Amino acid sequence: MAANEDSRSSDRKSADDSDDLPIFNAENLQSNMKSIYYSRTFLSIIGGVVAGIWGFTGLTGFVFYFLIMAVASLGLAAKAKFSVHTYFDSWNRILVDGVLGGLMSFVLFWTFAYDIVHIF
Amino acid sequence: MAEDLVLDTAIRDWVLVPLSVVMVLIGILRYFVSKLMRSTQLPDAKVVKEGQVIIRARNLRAAAGFIPAKAFRARRIYFTNEENGLLHVPKEQAQNAQAQMFSDPNMAMDMMKKNLSMIIPQTLTFAWVNFFFSGFVAAKIPFPLTQRFRGMLQNGIDLSTVDVSYVSSRSWYFLNLFGLRGLFSLILGEENAVDDTQKMMQMGGFGFDASRSLAAEKDSLDIIQHEWTLPKMEQRAEEVLRKLVK
Repeated sequence: MAANEDSRSSDRKSADDSDDLPIFNAENLQSNMKSIYYSRTFLSIIGGVVAGIWGFTGLTGFVFYFLIMAVASLGLAAKAKFSVHTYFDSWNRILVDGVLGGLMSFVLFWTFAYDIVHIF
Repeated sequence: MAEDLVLDTAIRDWVLVPLSVVMVLIGILRYFVSKLMRSTQLPDAKVVKEGQVIIRARNLRAAAGFIPAKAFRARRIYFTNEENGLLHVPKEQAQNAQAQMFSDPNMAMDMMKKNLSMIIPQTLTFAWVNFFFSGFVAAKIPFPLTQRFRGMLQNGIDLSTVDVSYVSSRSWYFLNLFGLRGLFSLILGEENAVDDTQKMMQMGGFGFDASRSLAAEKDSLDIIQHEWTLPKMEQRAEEVLRKLVK
């Protein structure tokens, strides 16, 4: 699911696993976060279209959305080879950030696809 | 859903799809127009200098652990001392900068252009939607909502019997307006994502930006606790080298 994740996220940062003082390159961190944002937005749009075509209604659709976001988090973590602290300063960046940001796009495309396929 | 409305497929072909497509195209057009209208003015030397000072102070703050305590203290004094430190802004000068910023006609012009390129297309599209598509039940959202949402979703049709999940064309326009932001950030790149909302905020606080952020940077540089990382680095290097030797 994380296929669209940018290759930039493989920019390595010099992070200490053993040390208490985190050493991050702010630009790389920013670029990693940006690629996460892109992949989440992309997935919410695609997920919306898929949910619409499959004809989900009501709660099912929202469950589907959060399922997709969970899968995306998993995919992103896998892409970071589960050593999140090499690329990000906290797990929240991968797991939580931007989950709700894509909801509006999701609802829009869900409605759009659903209307085109099922309503008329 | 006992009383499902039957919507004409012509509504889909001539209202729903065109409306969405037009919204996307107008968004793209607006992006390019605002790109064309962006004037590249020569940056003021003083502003650039202040910006660079802030960046240097920030770098010092971020990399404080890599230099010895003495060196850090010397640099901090260089930045923050009250007489001639780089980050120290005299009071009257700060107000001057603000006044000067507002009297600069070029600046005001630029803001105006940005504002116009944002407002004009929106007004036009709204008028267009109102004129051509008023009163259509254009779409149906696939989840139930409470009566409260009627005003929001059925803007333009005054029927209290229609189920709330049906969306009028005018409200579909608003849904598009907010929901397409994600799509734009995908197809137009990151610049556009921040465009609308954040530019508005920037505009509000632009004038006194420089001196204020200088002061903020000075404060945060003042309170930083210095801790030298490199002794630990030596141990780490030793470990690594020993591992290599083995």
